[in-house]
Amino acid sequence: MHTILVVDDSPTIRKMVRAALGGLQDVGFIEAGSGLQAIETLAMNPVRMVVLDLNMPDMHGLDVLKFLRSHSQYRALPVMVLTTRGDELSREQVLEAGATSYMTKPFSPSFLVSSVRELLDAAPDPAR
Amino acid sequence: MTYILFGVAGTTYAVPSPQVQHIEMVEQITPVPNAAHAVEGVVFSRGQVVPVINLRARFGFQRAAINQRSRLLVVQQGTRSIGLLADEAKEFVTIADALIHPPNQAIGNLSGSYLHGVATLGERVVLILDVREVVESTPIAAA
Amino acid sequence: MDDYFAEADEHLLAIRRCLLMLDGVERPAPSSSVLEELFRSCHSLKGISAMVELREAEVLAHHMESCLRAIRQGETVLDGVNLETLLAGANALEAVIVARREGNPLPSGEEAIAALRAMASTTTEEKPVAGPPGDAVKMAGSWTVRFVPSPELVARGIKVDTIRARLLEIGKIVSVAPQVLPGGGISFDFNVQTDDEASLEAWKADGVSYEPFVPAAPDVPLPATAASDLPSGPRAWEMASAAPGNFVRVDLARLDDLMRLAGDLVVTRSRLDDTLKRVERNVPSREFRLLQEHDLLMERQLRDLREGIMRVRLVPVGEVFRRMPFVVRDLAHDIGKRVKLEIVGQSTEIDKFLIERMMDPILHLVRNAVGHGIETVDRRVAAGKPPDGTIRLSATTVGESVVIEIADDGAGIDLAAIARRSPKDVHIEDGTLDSRLLLDVICESGFSTREEADRISGRGVGMAVVRSTVEELGGTLEVDTEPGRGTRFSLTLPLTLAIVDAIIGHVGAQTFAVPQSAVQEVIEVDPEKLRPLEQNELLMHRGRALPIVRLGRLFNLETTPRPRLHAIVVGTGLNALGLVFDRVAGHREIVVKTIADPLIHVSGVSGATELGDGRLVLILDVAALGRGIRERPRLGERASA
Repeated sequence: MHTILVVDDSPTIRKMVRAALGGLQDVGFIEAGSGLQAIETLAMNPVRMVVLDLNMPDMHGLDVLKFLRSHSQYRALPVMVLTTRGDELSREQVLEAGATSYMTKPFSPSFLVSSVRELLDAAPDPAR
Repeated sequence: MTYILFGVAGTTYAVPSPQVQHIEMVEQITPVPNAAHAVEGVVFSRGQVVPVINLRARFGFQRAAINQRSRLLVVQQGTRSIGLLADEAKEFVTIADALIHPPNQAIGNLSGSYLHGVATLGERVVLILDVREVVESTPIAAA
Repeated sequence: MDDYFAEADEHLLAIRRCLLMLDGVERPAPSSSVLEELFRSCHSLKGISAMVELREAEVLAHHMESCLRAIRQGETVLDGVNLETLLAGANALEAVIVARREGNPLPSGEEAIAALRAMASTTTEEKPVAGPPGDAVKMAGSWTVRFVPSPELVARGIKVDTIRARLLEIGKIVSVAPQVLPGGGISFDFNVQTDDEASLEAWKADGVSYEPFVPAAPDVPLPATAASDLPSGPRAWEMASAAPGNFVRVDLARLDDLMRLAGDLVVTRSRLDDTLKRVERNVPSREFRLLQEHDLLMERQLRDLREGIMRVRLVPVGEVFRRMPFVVRDLAHDIGKRVKLEIVGQSTEIDKFLIERMMDPILHLVRNAVGHGIETVDRRVAAGKPPDGTIRLSATTVGESVVIEIADDGAGIDLAAIARRSPKDVHIEDGTLDSRLLLDVICESGFSTREEADRISGRGVGMAVVRSTVEELGGTLEVDTEPGRGTRFSLTLPLTLAIVDAIIGHVGAQTFAVPQSAVQEVIEVDPEKLRPLEQNELLMHRGRALPIVRLGRLFNLETTPRPRLHAIVVGTGLNALGLVFDRVAGHREIVVKTIADPLIHVSGVSGATELGDGRLVLILDVAALGRGIRERPRLGERASA
């Protein structure tokens, strides 16, 4: 069972991501509405990959990503970053911070599904 | 989950202990004229005016005299503090969720609508009270 | 899609609220936490609008966001014109979203977009002052607060967000950083500014530990959008301690505690009084006189203490009045009228608790004035009035009360319409209606001169609630209207809330208190002299017929017949009323506790008090009793359970 952590401060978006990915086999979801909550959830639950929004009120997604990448237990965790069209950050900046993959809103559900499937297949299960 | 057990007309009830602000002995209850039948009146509790629901009356029993064993359980329901008048207070127990069954298996002349469920502790049958239901469905005075 | 609309609504609401708060703050340094919230809402709205392919909303939100960014970075100043532009942007956003929801063609937001674009691209010379921010924390200590999450805490509902929300409530979060602990778990380190150490202490049971902030650590990451008003860690700390200011932020709950303590002192002193009276004959008179002096001195000092504490709770009325111009402007705009709002007496002080309870009623009255009071431009011009209607909102202190008035120069209340719609028989004499009667009619629950649910009056607050709130707080509501000239509502509220002088009376086994301010005199009554008249009883008193209320009958209490009764005469003139007790026992100072719970909210009772022997005594609501007389036989009915 693959647990995907969906992090976005908008409940609408979280719902849409879950809806899009719901068809994948063997997949379960946890949600977090803020950067801090995401880190807390990660600390207490085994998670297979993260879908991470960037703009969040308490801690910016990029900082969450940097935090994750600076600690060994999360270094290999696949993280797909979601960002809004017209945002200042460039693709390079996001990938350099450690994102495994990157998607702009609005995204097409099928594209999301195939990217996630790729990530799940490619990365080895991070040992907990 | 910890519960506080108390007795009303021979039956043992329980409410979740986080909901109980405190328990006190009953001294004077000032009747409020023209309040609903089950509203015994008001008391002063920790500086607050707290309405008191007489559980015997509320559950359809005859009122009994207040004595040394009577207890007032002051519970929190949302932002309200309400006092529940019981014949006696018993002990604290922990009841695992698994031991609680839905109320429609209860026997007796109680309407199941104000029970969360029924638990059997050894030989005892304990009725888990739905505080919100009791409080919010007590009729309000018509004035 | 429903989710989108629900969430969009929330963001729009937040945007409106923030824009409202930004007006009235000194520029050029608007509160940056409000700006932050505004920015975030626009950004989120942009994000979700993009997701549902509502491009028009996305673009509008994007431009709002750019403007806000420019303001935040000091490139643009938030002046009146720019605020208007932002407001227009918010309106355009709402229009687009509503149109999509109702399936209508989308309005073009071009005008708003152009204005927003222009605003974002102009830069100004003035940079905002980099001094203490708009809502500066005064006299706050700096702490490192560490929260370690755990499954047990989560089961109790305590997560990092919970802690963060709590911290925001008691102070400012300068920064937050997650840390990995040696054992592999994590912690969240918050750098917080607050003076509420007590709360931090209390939260130790919830996974929180804290210590004074040591401003050395250079590695604390400052996330880009953390709720930070101050430039950077160490320097910010210096600034806070350099400007302590003369103010202390106080939790209202603590003030309530103080008030309660003061009230308890009053009660204790009353008991002392009683005891003194009892021991008088046992104590040598010289000693007794000394005792009495001390007692009186204490009474005086207690009064001063009470007043001092009450004064701490006083806030200027202007805080609430400040929002009114927006309400008026928006509403007038919505319904196509032109209305000016005049505010007088903003610095008049009133108890914070009172003004918070009064906010909705005042809002309702103001909206009514705009919606029903002021006429349309055409009608006004036709009547020879200036096209702009005026509403005057004023607050003044009159003796021990605060009088708040909402007056308009509109068409006055349509008495004929009122009479027609009233469920009761209402007679209009000479084209006028007794103002008390008028008030009664419009405050009748369920009464309304419009059939449709009225958008104008807002939700959940009708005139009935306005009056009951005012009376619950111990005040009075009056109305004055002149057809063609306008209407004025006056709310008189007590300045001080909790402690009053009262007369105590017994009926059967029960004791009641009547506020002294309502009492005219206390008389002895011969029961033989009471004359029945229709449903009531009368007593000839000072040459007039005084309506009588037998409290025993009213409250269904058991009483034994007595040769003589006492009556407390309340009210004046036509409002005079005699409340009949078995015995009137004297007067005391009482601490008023309001009775809020619906279970015990009974007409005729306005509160409760403790007489010092642990007994709770009900306080009579004289105004309601008076009204009840006119509405018999409904009073005194048993509640049908």
